[in-house]
Amino acid sequence: MKRLAAAVLAAVLAAAGAQNPAPEKPPSPAPADRHVPFNYVGKNGMVVAAHPLAAEAGLAMLQAGGNAVDAAVAAALALNAAEPFASGLGGGGFMVIYLARNKKTTVISFREKAPAAATPSMFADKGEAAEEWKSERGTAVGVPGMPAGWDLALRRYGTKTLAQAAPRAIEIAEKGFPIGATFSAIDKDEYEKVLRNAGEATCYLNQGVPYEPGDIFRNPDLAKTLRRLGEFGIDDFYKGSIAAKIVAAVRAKGGIMTLDDLAAYAAQEVEPLHGTYKGYEILTAPPPATGGLHVIQMLDVLENWPIRAWGPESPAYIHHAAEALRFLFADHSRYMADPDSRPLPLDRLLSKEYARRIAAKVPDGRIAGEYPFSVFDESKDKRENTTHLAVADKEGNIVALTQSINDFFGSGIVPEGTGFLLNDHMRDFDTDPQSPNAPAPGRRPVSSMGPLIMTKEGRPFLALGSPGGLRIFPTLAQIIVNIVDFGMDLDEAIEAPRFFASSGNGKARPLVMETRIPGSVRGDLEKLGHSIALKEDYDKYFGGAQGLLFQWDKGIILGGADSRRDGAGAGY
Amino acid sequence: MSKAVFIAVAFAIALAVPLAAQSPAAFEQPLLITSAGQSADAQLAAVLAKKAELKADLVKMAGPKDLAGHKTLVLVLGASMKGLGAAGLDTAKEKDRIKGLLAAAKSQSIPVLCLHLGGEARRGELTDAMVAEYLPSARAALVVKSGDKDGLFTRICKEKGIALTEVDRTLDAVEPLKTAFAK
Repeated sequence: MKRLAAAVLAAVLAAAGAQNPAPEKPPSPAPADRHVPFNYVGKNGMVVAAHPLAAEAGLAMLQAGGNAVDAAVAAALALNAAEPFASGLGGGGFMVIYLARNKKTTVISFREKAPAAATPSMFADKGEAAEEWKSERGTAVGVPGMPAGWDLALRRYGTKTLAQAAPRAIEIAEKGFPIGATFSAIDKDEYEKVLRNAGEATCYLNQGVPYEPGDIFRNPDLAKTLRRLGEFGIDDFYKGSIAAKIVAAVRAKGGIMTLDDLAAYAAQEVEPLHGTYKGYEILTAPPPATGGLHVIQMLDVLENWPIRAWGPESPAYIHHAAEALRFLFADHSRYMADPDSRPLPLDRLLSKEYARRIAAKVPDGRIAGEYPFSVFDESKDKRENTTHLAVADKEGNIVALTQSINDFFGSGIVPEGTGFLLNDHMRDFDTDPQSPNAPAPGRRPVSSMGPLIMTKEGRPFLALGSPGGLRIFPTLAQIIVNIVDFGMDLDEAIEAPRFFASSGNGKARPLVMETRIPGSVRGDLEKLGHSIALKEDYDKYFGGAQGLLFQWDKGIILGGADSRRDGAGAGY
Repeated sequence: MSKAVFIAVAFAIALAVPLAAQSPAAFEQPLLITSAGQSADAQLAAVLAKKAELKADLVKMAGPKDLAGHKTLVLVLGASMKGLGAAGLDTAKEKDRIKGLLAAAKSQSIPVLCLHLGGEARRGELTDAMVAEYLPSARAALVVKSGDKDGLFTRICKEKGIALTEVDRTLDAVEPLKTAFAK
């Protein structure tokens, strides 16, 4: 029956395409000043996503009887149409699913994989051009996992097919919508890459130049591709005509992907990683996703200090948290790798004793100054990419989904006639052939993503995630602390000023922060030895978090969506 | 007409009328397009020049030698930390390069056309500093209007007698470019 319904729906959709229909108007219930904390409220269900059209697509699926997984995939597909520069069919991600009926949490992992021809030295061999080959050439493209991940989640835990989840995304792609300042600014930033790899005639440019705010963006090729997926299933993507186009596009740009690489791809269902913080349980995607792991580590370290008494934006809190981050970056460089290629010491990294030892190394009155060796270079990591959405349905099922094509506009490569961008997730491998995170056949690059669900006394409390590269885990940890320790409501916690610190080559890197952190606090931090670097008031450098907070006593779900990008919520 | 008289006439024309209305042409081809700040907007200028059917060469990190064979220097104002990083430049090196280029253009009597195409999103501390420093060297400026919301370009152009043309959208810059270089 499900298959028949899908076929009927696909046929109806195929017949319904119209030439340049009237563009969509995004719903916008949020306040005029988008930075004013605003919680979306729902009783039966809630969707938060990085674009209002995606939130609305997810809500429509919930109201049509779909569950949280169905709605998450509908919203994810809609994001491919409405926020195509951050995620889409050509990428991958991690989905954390909480199933209310048996109180089980599971993870669908659909991270990209290196092609079989990948070698540890494939980027090192390029010398000074390594970064270009990792990000803008065909070798930048990992085997996409997105369709397989969405499909696996729907088959195991959804009630709809991919064809049934896609209509709203198809509609958005066909009708188009007026783009906002975020899309326009990113299009301008990535213009050279898009022009070089997608060409002047691509839909991602407006007559060969970047879109301006208010321009209508349409993507009829994506609509066609989504229809094909509805009609023929994901086999068309991995073994059929779309696969052939992907390989042709990648190889035309110097890549090494083959049809066999695509045919061999499979998404995985894996056990979540567990942690605790002050009586809350944290369930998150395990490596190669590392965001959730580091969130747990960070919170474990913070448990050792009286941060509640110190308060938000206090020099003592920011100093200690920044120092914790500097120590944790060493773990990232030293241990993180695809767990299928080498075992990771997760038990040790996640032990409270290990966290106590890190906390003990942080002096109260100055920065430590010396940190375990880390190869991370903050100055080279400006990435703000990726996207996060979260959904809850009336049964109490929850999804936290982070997905990406890596850099904004990915590799900039669009397989001919498909309308979707291919990722540049091979960039997440280390160039150093000796690194545990060096490229290898079939290996998954380490990811910073960290979708998570927190529970308290067995009931869901918070679903959360963010884009932002290696700022993801510091951002998520700060939001959790804002809620649990500082008593902020959800969106207040999301909008609160953020900071980030790291270490590299054993030395402290600057403490980067939004300008809303008062000058007096910055002055106090400088006296402790921190070098301060300022970003904008609300800077997407620190991510664009989306979350759900469950208030069981009131019978409501709060949705929080980050104003640093175009976050929005929709509930009922 | 002597060189001095020609320059005076050209300056008077530039002062009196906006870029799109200047006729005969305020500028001559071929153009050398370069960036001030290494944003992607220099590439954008090259595409607009192509649409305007102008003979142009894009050299994002152009030096004095690149001026050879060109009759107009197009300086695309817009700083990007990402672009500077990718080019392996810091702010000081980029400023030194542009200063040298402008000095060479002046010594060769090559007129400068400044473009700001990135709109409001391409303003910021570094871009503004470059606008203040380099725009006065221009004979004319072509600006996407949202980049001049606070009147920075208007003020400098008025003070320095630079012809300023504002367009609503990037694509609208094609026609003024055609006119400015029309034979």
